[in-house]
Order: sequence, then C-alpha cells, then structure tokens
Amino acid sequence: MGRKRKASESEAEDAFEKEKENEEYRNKQQQKKKAGEIVPSMIRNKERRSEVHAKLKHQKKVEKRKKIQARDAAEKRALELGEEPQPRSVPRTIENTRELDETVCKPDDEELFAGNDADEFSVVLKREGTPKVLITTARFNSTRGPAFISELLSVIPNAHYYKRGTYDLKKIVEYAKNKDFTSIIVVHTNRREPDALLIMGVPDGPTAHFKLSKLVLRKDIKNHGNPTSHKPELVLTNFTTRLGHRIGRLIQSIFPQDPNFRGRRVVTFHNQRDFIFFRHHRYIFESKESKENNSEGKKAKDAKLAKAPQEKVVARLQECGPRFTLKLISLQHGTFDTKGGEYEWVHKRNASPRVSDTLYAFLPNLYVSRKWTQAEGGFSCNLLWNIALNCLFRGLEAFFGEEGWYLGTRC
Amino acid sequence: MPRTTTIECPGCPPLRALTFDVLGLIKVIEAHGKQGGVPKVVERWFEPDTSKCVLAASINDRKIDPLLAVARKSGVIEVCSPINGDVRFTVPNVSDASLRAEDDAVVGLHLFSRQKLELTSRSCTLFTCTTKGNASMRSIEIADSPEGSASVGSSRTWSVCASGNILCSKVDGSENYALFGGKGVEVNMWDLENCTKIWAAKSPPKNSLDMFSPTWFTSATFMSKDDHRKIVAGTNNHQVRLYDISAQRRPVISFDFRETPIKAIAEDLDGYTVYIGNGSGDLASVDMRTGKLLGCFLGKCSGSIRSIARHPELPVIASCGLDSYIRIWDIKTRQLLSAVFLKQHLTNVVFDSNFADKEVTPLADPPLNTKQIANENEVSDDEETLPVKRKKASKKDEGIKKKKKKKKATKDSEVPEENEESKKGALKEKEGSKKLKSKKRSKRSKYEIVDDAP
Repeated sequence: MGRKRKASESEAEDAFEKEKENEEYRNKQQQKKKAGEIVPSMIRNKERRSEVHAKLKHQKKVEKRKKIQARDAAEKRALELGEEPQPRSVPRTIENTRELDETVCKPDDEELFAGNDADEFSVVLKREGTPKVLITTARFNSTRGPAFISELLSVIPNAHYYKRGTYDLKKIVEYAKNKDFTSIIVVHTNRREPDALLIMGVPDGPTAHFKLSKLVLRKDIKNHGNPTSHKPELVLTNFTTRLGHRIGRLIQSIFPQDPNFRGRRVVTFHNQRDFIFFRHHRYIFESKESKENNSEGKKAKDAKLAKAPQEKVVARLQECGPRFTLKLISLQHGTFDTKGGEYEWVHKRNASPRVSDTLYAFLPNLYVSRKWTQAEGGFSCNLLWNIALNCLFRGLEAFFGEEGWYLGTRC
Repeated sequence: MPRTTTIECPGCPPLRALTFDVLGLIKVIEAHGKQGGVPKVVERWFEPDTSKCVLAASINDRKIDPLLAVARKSGVIEVCSPINGDVRFTVPNVSDASLRAEDDAVVGLHLFSRQKLELTSRSCTLFTCTTKGNASMRSIEIADSPEGSASVGSSRTWSVCASGNILCSKVDGSENYALFGGKGVEVNMWDLENCTKIWAAKSPPKNSLDMFSPTWFTSATFMSKDDHRKIVAGTNNHQVRLYDISAQRRPVISFDFRETPIKAIAEDLDGYTVYIGNGSGDLASVDMRTGKLLGCFLGKCSGSIRSIARHPELPVIASCGLDSYIRIWDIKTRQLLSAVFLKQHLTNVVFDSNFADKEVTPLADPPLNTKQIANENEVSDDEETLPVKRKKASKKDEGIKKKKKKKKATKDSEVPEENEESKKGALKEKEGSKKLKSKKRSKRSKYEIVDDAP
C-alpha cells in the first residue's frame, strides 16, 4: 500500500513538474509569437508552412553571414592594431577527438623506411621497374562489370584486360609472374554489379581484398570530362597508420611514378574512417581578376592564396569517372591463396565481448586523426576542397615527395 | 563510431621477452612492477637489414652465461648474449658453399642446454634443420678472444627427408629426440644420439569421398617436457593432430580448428594443454587429453600468428606474428594483459625467465616506482612487496637464491590463484557475459521447444 501511495505521489509530482514545464514552454512559445515569430510546424496549410520555413531559413542564413562578417571585421581590426586576433573556435568532431594510435607512421622512423626499402613494392616505387597491371574478372561478368573495367583501363596506364575464362586465379598469378606483370586487379561481380576488388602485388606482393560500393560510372556523372592518355597524378590522403601505409604503397605501385603534369589528370584515393574514396578528376588553373573587395568573406582566402592581390588563381575541377568506395576486408601475405594463406590483417567483426573492446572493434585501421598531421588552422575536410588545395599548392611539383604522400594534405 | 577513449589493459607481471622480426632486429620488451606493469621496448639490437631476417631463434636461459642463437636468412647463425645482445660468434649454416643460403633456409634451431659431450663450460651445442631436410648437430668451442671466433668441435650432418620441404622441427625436453614435419613430409622422429629415424607417422586414410588430403605439416611440438612420445602437429588444412609414438602411426586425436592453417603450436607446462595459433590470428588453448577446445584468446588480433611462447614460471603466454604486435595473455582467464606494437612483421618470440631474479629497481625510474606502488595499492592490499625482497636477495649469497627458488617451485601452483584474485573484476565481467549467454541459450532452447511443439 505504502509503496503504491508513494508511487502515486511521485507520479503526481512528476505530472506537476511536467505541467510546469509545459506551461513554461507555452509561455516561451507565446513570447515568441508575440515577438512575431511563428513556428512553422504549427501551421497546417502546407504552402504557408513552407513559405514561413523558407523565410526562417533565410533569416538564419543572413544572421550567420552577419556573424561571420563581424568576426572577420574584428579580426581585421585586430590585425591592423597589431593585436592578436581572437582564436577561432574549432568545432569538436569525432575525427579530432579520436584517440591517437601507436601504429601511426612517423616521418622520423628509420625502421619504417628500412622496411619500405625492402618491401614488395620497392622495385616499382624506386622506379627500377614500370608498373604493368593485369585486369581480370570473376568467372561471370556482365552489364556494369565490363563497363567498369573499360573505365579502369582508362584510369590506370599500362593496364591490360584479360578474359577470365575458366582459369584458376592461381594459374593467372603464375601467368602474370611469367609475363612480368607487377600487379593484378580482379573485379568481382555479383548479380551483375561489381562488388569486390582484389588488388594483388606480383610476384610476391600482398593481396588486398576490398569491398566495392557506391560505383558510379562515367556516363552517370553529370558534366563529366573525358580523360586523356597522360599518366595521372596520384593523391593519397590519410593513409597514416602502418596498415594504411602498406595499403597506400600497394595502391601507389599500380600507377606509374612519373606522372605527366601537362595532362592535369589526378586520381585520388581519400581515406576517411577506413573507407577509401576513389575519384578521378581533370583540373585547370585559371587566373581571374579579383573583384574589388565586394565581398569581405573572400578576403581571408585572398590573403592566403595569391601573393599578388590583383590576380587570383583558381583551380577548377572536372570529374571524369568512375567514382567508387572501397573498404578493406583483408590483407593477405603473399599472393592469392585462400586455403593456406596467412593474413596480415583481417577484418574481425565481434572480436571481443567486452565493452571496451566493442569500442575497439570500431577503431579505424588505416587512418587515425589528423591531429598531428594537421597544419595550423583546421580546414574543411571536404574532399573536393582537399584536392583543390593539393592542385593549387603543389601545382606542378611532384605529388610524390619522399615523405609527402602519406602525410596526406600537409599544405 | 571511432574510438575516442583510451583502452586500458590490465598490465602484466614482471617479465622480459625478446622478439625477432623480418628486418633482423631483436627487440627486448620488459615489464616492471608486480602487478599491472606496462611492458615497453627497452632495447633494440642490430641494424635493419632484410637479408638478416630472423628465421628461427632459440634461447638457453641458464643462470650463468645464458645464450641466444639466431638463424638469419643470409645463412648465418649468430650466437649472442640475451642480456646485452653482444654477438659471441657466428656460424655459417651450410658447410658446403655450393648451396645458396637463400634456397635452404633454416627452419629449426635449438641450442642445447645440457652439456652434451662433457666439454668445458665454454662450449655449446647447436642443432639446426633446413628446408631441404639437412639436419646437423654441431658442438662449438667458444674461444676466449673477444673477436668472437669459434671453432667447430664436432659436427654431424644427416638428411632427414628425400623429398618435400621441412617446415617444422623441434627438439624434445630431454634433448635426445627431434621431430620433423613439413610439406610432403609426414611427422617423423629421430634419435639424436645415433642419428636414426625411430618413428614416422602414417598419413590418415581417405575420407568418405575417397579424397586424400596432401601431407602438409606447418607446426609441431612435443606435448610435455619429459615425455617425447606424444606429439601435437598442426596441418595446413587446419587440422590439429595428436600422435602417440608408443601407440600407433596414425593420429590418436585429430580435430579441425577454424579455417586457416595452424601456424604455431606451443605446449603448456602441465603436459596436456596446448596453445594453437592460426593464419588469421585466432589463438586458442586446447586440452589434448580429450581434444576439446578450452577457449579462445579473444582480442583484436588480426594478423597471422607466427610464434607462441609460454613463460616458464608465470601463467602467461606471448604471441606474435604478422600484425606486428606482441601480445601477452593470461592463460587462466584468457584475457589480454598487454600488447606492444613493434612496427615490423615478427617471426619469433622467446621469454627470458631469469629476468625476475635480476635486479628490478636500478632499471626502473623513481616515478615508475611510485606508479608501481600505486598500482599495487589499487590491485590488492595483501600483495607482498616482492621487489624489495628481491633486491635483498640479489645482494645475498647464491645459496639463499637457491632456497628461494625451491620456495618458488612450491609457490608455482599458488601464483595463478593470486592472479585470479587480482582479476576478480575481469572475472565478474566475464561471468556477467556468461550469464547473458546462458540466458540467450535458454531462450533459444525455449524457442526450439516451441518450434518442436507444433
């Protein structure tokens, strides 16, 4: 009885509190209404509701712009007065609050470089041999598979397509060894849709098995360009951990190490939380006469980019497909061998029942926070922005500096 | 969701392990503090060089003048000191120069702890076995000169197999017998005294589909230290087999473990438990009396396991492999105690059992000491402050040491219990999960019943 009573009492209290809260809320709403603001969700007529919503959105946008302008102005004033401008607040994201991993490659690690000199890709990456790629498919291949392969052939120079026929993959590896191929790419198709990619180093390189998703072919990309036959430049970002480094080198060894910068073709592998995004672009530098201070927002950029204030160099991008996303499933030591193969890394889903380890299971393996690779001032993680920055800052310099590429965008 | 908090490992008891990697480096890992010591890389010996990739290693951790033998890819065997890494002498692997060292890699290496031929104390006996099946026993006289020249006293070489490749080779605890196995080579045992084959296994019969699985042993070990008759072998088609040479030529017990080749097998001190590691990074302990899986060592181990080592005194094992981590596990709770990232693909790991007797305090810094104390306080109050005692012991005579050792031997059985106590928390967690599991199971069974009912 007593308990019940207590329960009812507490319920009553709760109800009372709730009522109070509700009242407060209503009051607030009323105040808002009084101030002339209408909550769009209260309006029942759709046309009017959307109108009001659009209006509110626009207001917010204007406010934001004003805020930014005020901040910029304050900064400018501070600079003019020779004071330190207020530090910009950096948004707290999952990416920049991530724990640092001990497997991140550091540029002063001599063991890493000794290991690099000795690994399977060093022949190609030291330019002692040219990469030669064999592309083949799974046993069955139709519809989007062949189209994807024809586009891959245009992306990767010196790539040769061989029909799979009924050969075992191990036989194909043997064949590739005899014909001096340096890597093999197998496109696996399931239900007429490419769904996996196997990249293999030959003769003794590792075998990486990727899940392939979000494939968009060239013809499905709006305003796509057509690539030239120049050797493309390669941008690899965020391949920072030891495993990422190895995958990065594997990918790098597919492409020639002497790109034609005249071709202005760039192939990007961007790693973000273990998903590797592939993009293929053409870029062009355009010098524009900068407009006379009509927008203050662009000023900061101006100061950053062009030394001569009159002329502004803009990198414009045109995507020329395909576009896809890869996720590493396993990395095998040696060439393809499903039965007796040793794995260097396998994706394990539920590795441990413990709570801390379930968190651990989500630990990114290729890429860890850009905390220490980040240059001063956080900039947007936007992929296109990164590419544009790369193109602009590195320009016609080689993308493949000795330590540049795996640090990602350091500019 | 990416991880935004650090993961705490329980830490491991004081130990010292040596790891060997593909660049020919030897790294020394030490953990200080009675409980919850964080192992760290304290030393790195040799310069990175791929031609010096370590293929096999063997340690003779006796009290006086311990030795460490390392077989390298370039075809030399270096014998060095496990304390400071000084190379005592090097021995070429192949006697005749016609054979190239790269073609005939060393797969088995054993440094005899017993003084075989009653020579002076400054000699050692080395047993090696190569892929082609050339086994050799050499006793080596260490010259006193510091250059590290050594004279080969007596050597015997014999061929173990006519065809096929040897992939695993092991010498038993009494050091009278050696076993060999490999691709196309059934497990066989040789008497090292007079170099004769005393036993060879017979391949298992064809299965119900009339299919014959090719012989391909990837790892093997003796079950216990003082019994050479029981062998556990792992095959490439993920089978673990127990052979008893006194019983029959076919396996007594044979079972499958997961789907990748068994790459490492290590025996426990109790004589019936073995630890098996496979090509995709699964590590488990198995009771070989029944062939039942005791449990898996759960953790984020994702690379092939190349080597497992059991600590001769403490209840821990270490595993290492292609994921370039050395992981130290508790064998009772099968919990990961700690992991150290070592940057290279690792090939071998050995424990230096003398470490506990050595001085602890001089190496540890004062802040570390305070940490230890804090840890001890946290973990358990009834824990003795052993490091201090040890310090005293190291100052005193050897006689006392010996006494202590005896004590230790008696204590050995107690150690795991203590450990268990300290990990009550972890156990509780486990229990919780078990309960959950059991609940699930019961649910499942209910469902099954329901399913069966109509």
